[in-house]
Amino acid sequence: MDSLSNRRKLLLQSGGGFATLALASMLQEQAHSKSMGAAQASNRIEHHVPKVKRIVQLFMTGGASPMDLFDYKPELERLDGQMLGPKEKPEGFTAPAGALMKSPYKFAQHGQSGRWVSELFPEQAKLVDQMAFLMAMTTKTNVHGPGTYMMNSGFLLPGFPCMGAWISYALGNLTDNLPTFVVLPDARGLPYNQQACFSSGFLPTVHEGVVLQANAKVPIPDLVAEAKYPFALSQADLDGQGLLRMLNEQHRFKHPGDTRFEARISGYELAAKMQLSAPEAFDLAQETAQTQSDYGLGQPSTDDFGKRCLLARRLVERGVRFVQVWSGPQGATNNWDNHGNIQTELPPMAQSVDRPIAALLKDLKARGLDSDTLVIWTTEFGRTPFAQGSLGRDHNGGSFVTWLWGAGVKPGVAYGKSDDWGYQAVENKTWCYDLHATVLHLLGIDHLRLSVRQNGIDRRLTDVHGHVIDPILA
Amino acid sequence: MSRNSLLLSMFRSLWLCPLLAASGVSSGQESPQETDKAFFHRQVEPLLKKHCFACHSHNAGQMESGLALDWRSGWETGGSRGPAILPGNPGASLLIRAVEHSDADMKMPDEKLSADEIQTLKDWVQRGAFDDRQVRPEATDPMDWWSLRPLIAPPIPGLPPAGSPNSHDANPIDAFIEAKLQASGLARSAWASPEERIRRVYFDLVGIPPTLDQTRAFLQSPTESAYGQMVDKLLDSPGYGQRWARHWLDTVHFADSHGYEHDVGRDHAWPYRDYVIQAFNTDVPWDRFIRQQLAVDVFEPDATDLIPALGFLGAGTFDLSTYSTGPVTFDYLDRDDMLNQTMAAFVSTTANCARCHAHKFDPIPQEDYYALQAVFAGVLKGNIRYDSDAAYAAQRRAILALKQAALDRDAKVLASPYARLRIEPVAKSQAMAATWKNLDLQSFVSLQGATLTEGIDQAYLASGTSPDTDTYVLSAQVPLQRVTAIRLDVLPDESLPMHGPGRCQNGNLHLSEVSVHVFHPDQPAGKSVQIVRSSADFNQAGWGIERAIDGDPKTAWGIHPEVAKAHHAVFVFQEPIALADGSTLTVTLKQLHGGSHLIGAFRISVTDADSGQAIALPQAIERILSLAESDRTDDEKLSLAAYFGNLAADAELAKLPVQATVYAIGTSVSIPSGNGNHQPGSIATPKKVHLLDRGDISKPRSEISPGSLSALGHMPSRFDDRSDLSESARRAALADWIAHPENVLTWRSVVNRTWHYHFGQGLCDTPSDFGRMGGEPSHPELIDWLAVWFRDRAQGSLKQLHRLIVTSQVYQQSAQERPEASQLDATNRLLWRQNRLRLDADAFRDYVLAISGRLDTGHGGPAVQHFTQQPGPQSTPKLDYSAYDWSAANSNRRSIYRYVWRGIPDPLMASLDFPDLGLLAPSRTFSASPLQSLALLNNPFVLVHSQATAERLARESPNLDIQIETLLQLAYQRMPEAPELEQMKLYVGKHGLAALCRIVFNSNEFLFIP
Repeated sequence: MDSLSNRRKLLLQSGGGFATLALASMLQEQAHSKSMGAAQASNRIEHHVPKVKRIVQLFMTGGASPMDLFDYKPELERLDGQMLGPKEKPEGFTAPAGALMKSPYKFAQHGQSGRWVSELFPEQAKLVDQMAFLMAMTTKTNVHGPGTYMMNSGFLLPGFPCMGAWISYALGNLTDNLPTFVVLPDARGLPYNQQACFSSGFLPTVHEGVVLQANAKVPIPDLVAEAKYPFALSQADLDGQGLLRMLNEQHRFKHPGDTRFEARISGYELAAKMQLSAPEAFDLAQETAQTQSDYGLGQPSTDDFGKRCLLARRLVERGVRFVQVWSGPQGATNNWDNHGNIQTELPPMAQSVDRPIAALLKDLKARGLDSDTLVIWTTEFGRTPFAQGSLGRDHNGGSFVTWLWGAGVKPGVAYGKSDDWGYQAVENKTWCYDLHATVLHLLGIDHLRLSVRQNGIDRRLTDVHGHVIDPILA
Repeated sequence: MSRNSLLLSMFRSLWLCPLLAASGVSSGQESPQETDKAFFHRQVEPLLKKHCFACHSHNAGQMESGLALDWRSGWETGGSRGPAILPGNPGASLLIRAVEHSDADMKMPDEKLSADEIQTLKDWVQRGAFDDRQVRPEATDPMDWWSLRPLIAPPIPGLPPAGSPNSHDANPIDAFIEAKLQASGLARSAWASPEERIRRVYFDLVGIPPTLDQTRAFLQSPTESAYGQMVDKLLDSPGYGQRWARHWLDTVHFADSHGYEHDVGRDHAWPYRDYVIQAFNTDVPWDRFIRQQLAVDVFEPDATDLIPALGFLGAGTFDLSTYSTGPVTFDYLDRDDMLNQTMAAFVSTTANCARCHAHKFDPIPQEDYYALQAVFAGVLKGNIRYDSDAAYAAQRRAILALKQAALDRDAKVLASPYARLRIEPVAKSQAMAATWKNLDLQSFVSLQGATLTEGIDQAYLASGTSPDTDTYVLSAQVPLQRVTAIRLDVLPDESLPMHGPGRCQNGNLHLSEVSVHVFHPDQPAGKSVQIVRSSADFNQAGWGIERAIDGDPKTAWGIHPEVAKAHHAVFVFQEPIALADGSTLTVTLKQLHGGSHLIGAFRISVTDADSGQAIALPQAIERILSLAESDRTDDEKLSLAAYFGNLAADAELAKLPVQATVYAIGTSVSIPSGNGNHQPGSIATPKKVHLLDRGDISKPRSEISPGSLSALGHMPSRFDDRSDLSESARRAALADWIAHPENVLTWRSVVNRTWHYHFGQGLCDTPSDFGRMGGEPSHPELIDWLAVWFRDRAQGSLKQLHRLIVTSQVYQQSAQERPEASQLDATNRLLWRQNRLRLDADAFRDYVLAISGRLDTGHGGPAVQHFTQQPGPQSTPKLDYSAYDWSAANSNRRSIYRYVWRGIPDPLMASLDFPDLGLLAPSRTFSASPLQSLALLNNPFVLVHSQATAERLARESPNLDIQIETLLQLAYQRMPEAPELEQMKLYVGKHGLAALCRIVFNSNEFLFIP
């Protein structure tokens, strides 16, 4: 193997925007890190001109019910109560299939596109002409853990990098001041699989999602030392970083030629920038009362998700590349896993996200961020058209809905169709591979060419699958 | 173009070129005038190569279904389905149908070709399928690959030139490395300085820094023999196992929680970790290490203290949710985890690549993969019990044999001296039945509002409302000074359904839990009485009386179908209770099963008899006992011997120490399911394993018997030639297959993996993949020499291998960059210098602890949780690492004792590249990021130990110069230079010594091992 490609491999492993710095040193350039701005450090992989620079992904934990939200199924009204489902319990169903169950919610057509939306999403319904719907998403499992892995990393198993990590790996950062990939979990808890959903897998850990508790005093872990350690605060910290720089420079001078030293020295410079910028980014008080109210802040039902949507906007606005906002923790309640009763469990979840989502889309547009921001609404699988018990719905990987909005997306279209019950995807089936391929495509990346050799296999986000979904692209 | 953007574009082109070259894209836009020949070679052949050759060519060594597409004859003759192409007729050509995915059972390849590509193939067939490849291609021998060739030690290259240092004592490693260096016009680097060498060898062998005395002693006389002695001492110290076990635990993705949705903690995973540490420290020979981890129960059945070795197969993830709701999927995936780990860790093979189709690059047919699945088809991951003291295990075996004989009514065994010695005393004491005094209840309450009324002879009857569940609370003054047991009689009554004794429609009852409290007159709070044993005259199948005292409200005692009869149960106290005058005994009967499985009529009585006599005898036994001894038939005598044999065995078992628990594998296990709960799991006989078409569980094909890789010929690759195909025999057979002296992969794998940790890079740089997708080794002949030496000369002793490596000059040379050498070999594959390693996450923590003086190097025990826990929304708790108290007991243990929660990583450790153990981690990555910097600057662990270090330095000397000198010696193994010392003094003067310690812990000189 030639030395340059090996060196490059090492640089890529060291991650982030430092690779350019490392390259400079490799070429014996005396480029000082300060002259290497953030914008130059990003976009390391560009297979074609990107339309999207930043992404907000809204993930509905538990399996949002398609036939009660976006996938209108009049046939269920006709067959309501009939036992037509599978006789044997399919793998991953938590109970044998009950009778077909119609949606208890009214559906109506909206916008020029005439998209059907249930009464549970009145605010999103007003924006359907801006969205592109994937109506026949499908997955390989009916179980939350593997399903959530799959929608995030393309694999049913743990240990694989999620989409945010791949994007961080491929594109690096847009800003030095904030992390590249931020995760905002529900205040009530983490989703299924815990932080393993945001893992960098076998990629360097620098690419894993930084989990921020939107309500926490210090938004980024270890951003500053706690007050009880004065020797690590203010002037002591400042002078300390000066001394550290001196020690590190001295050490590097004695041991030239190791790009990792450079990378660590830059790490401290960027950390200092982050310390200065992050608190401002997290300060929602800077938003007007109107904006706060648009996002539903202060209303108990929408406050948490609304805060995190608003935070997501502030973060992408300031150059965070990928923000994932989760609705609902794992568990039996407070999420989209409505086994017991669709009529009581689904409406509060729908209400908690509908207004904040609409506010986010409008806000992004008003600020012109829609020109390079993509928003993805998704979940790990759908739910059965059959009742579980008499009022709930069980897990169903057969068909579910995802929508995309923003840069590069053809507005007001729908792609794919599920069967008359919404049980299985039948037309233009779409897998996570296709969604991921499409997202990477919008970012300027050919998913077939973004790979890393791991344990004998060239691993991709899209495994050995994936087609860019052209019909939903502008 | 600015310099920056110039740099960027150079960088970009560097990155893109190889990818473009590899992708082999064809344009698909050729002119129609093109001749058939050009069309075939420029457009068609590249497509066949790209999409078909992996499974259908001589060169790949594979022709699935007998079809070769790499010459004309291949497709003309075709495979098992006949000719693949009918020239001129694309619609009828199998090849076209396959690529179009027209037939459900013949979609090839998995990833469908693009429409353009398919059109190209169709055009070609339509035009007559021109193909001038007339000669049969040479078949590549799939075994012609470095790791699969016969393992023969190559000769050691000529000794180093006379007069060079140590030529008298040449280390063969140096000879092999030197030969390649010379051939490439390179020279080894100078020796590393003594300071660098002590730093390096401590980090490498024990993962903690030398003490001041150790450093001083070596630096005073850094001779070769002093170095050798230091190496010996380190290898003999417990720290060696604590360091090297971590590498193995990474390799096998061991952690203390399940992963997945229900990321439940495994509080008993740690005995495997301790086993691994112990195995390294006692230098268990490698073949034995393999056999112990796969099947110690078979190979060393008496050494029950080694059962934790089986934790190897339990090391990986466990998807509790799929286990419960998708059992078939679970079986295949969980076995995949076990076999993938086993084959990667021991033989550096990616067998899992053959799950859906034959391995694309290595000679592993799909059958081999499923044969490996079959090896593990009889085990489940979960907690198992074992005797950590092998002496007790022997006793337990004997007692269990007695118990089994009692259950089998084995007259011969029950008449043996061993049995009689135990049975007779029990039978004797039972013959004197206890006397019971009925309790005259002062209060008797149904918590759900049923009516309880007193009848004759202190019997009580329930009537009125018949709730779903109920709890009776019964209190009485006791007519005895001392009580050893209570008895519950449940009685039939005409008023009850089916005449009772239960209130359920079928006359049954379910007693979920019994509890007893004593209230002394002068003490307001009652005291709970511990019940140790329960017995009943009759137990419904699956509803034994032990379930009424197991603390689990979901399990209960029942009497179905023996309804309309009286039954009784006895509950023996752990200690006799003394009752002062006026004391009250309260008995609570919880009946929580539901469906009105409630007690209809009952009586409570007490006894002060010896606890051995307090027992509810089955009706049949009671009848036999009522006969005179001479009137009993032989069969009745056997019934008594069997009954009392069982009781005797239980009593003996109760005397043995409680068994230890390890999370491992077994045929019958207890699976941690969160919030302290467990669920039982068992597999009676190994499940059938079928080859799955394309890995799809809905497409099972033929059944596959247990075995391993067929490409290796040192042993039969299928184990069905063995008479014993029981579960454990399968594991043992695989262990034999792996540990076999002639398994060419095993010995190459272990020496290369060991080398990887000593040099930061293996001679083959993919330590868990020796296949064609892995790295090609830089020195295959050295791997072979080491493998044979390790197997034959060192007899599988890792310590000897370490010693050979770390005493080589290659290992001890400087890591300093040399531009002239770098130009020839930038990545140092030829080892013209040593590689500089960064402290890994575990070592960073241990180094900081050691320097602070707080490190506890103690050995073994439960994992230390560096977080606080709160209940989560479901079975996974919420962890808070930032709330941990760093002065807590055990907070200062080495990192190997850390509780590793798969899905909720420790932010400090993660920032230093502690791996995601959802997957195997044969090597660690390198990160440098602002978040790592923040963690090292501000994480409470670093700050607490900066303070602790400052306190230690202050304790040891009041003099600032000496304090700083000591700090640098501890952290860098060197003295400060004058200007450096001045700067540091200035800083300490302003901000204190703790502030300086924090900065040193962040410095590159501390983080990198020279």
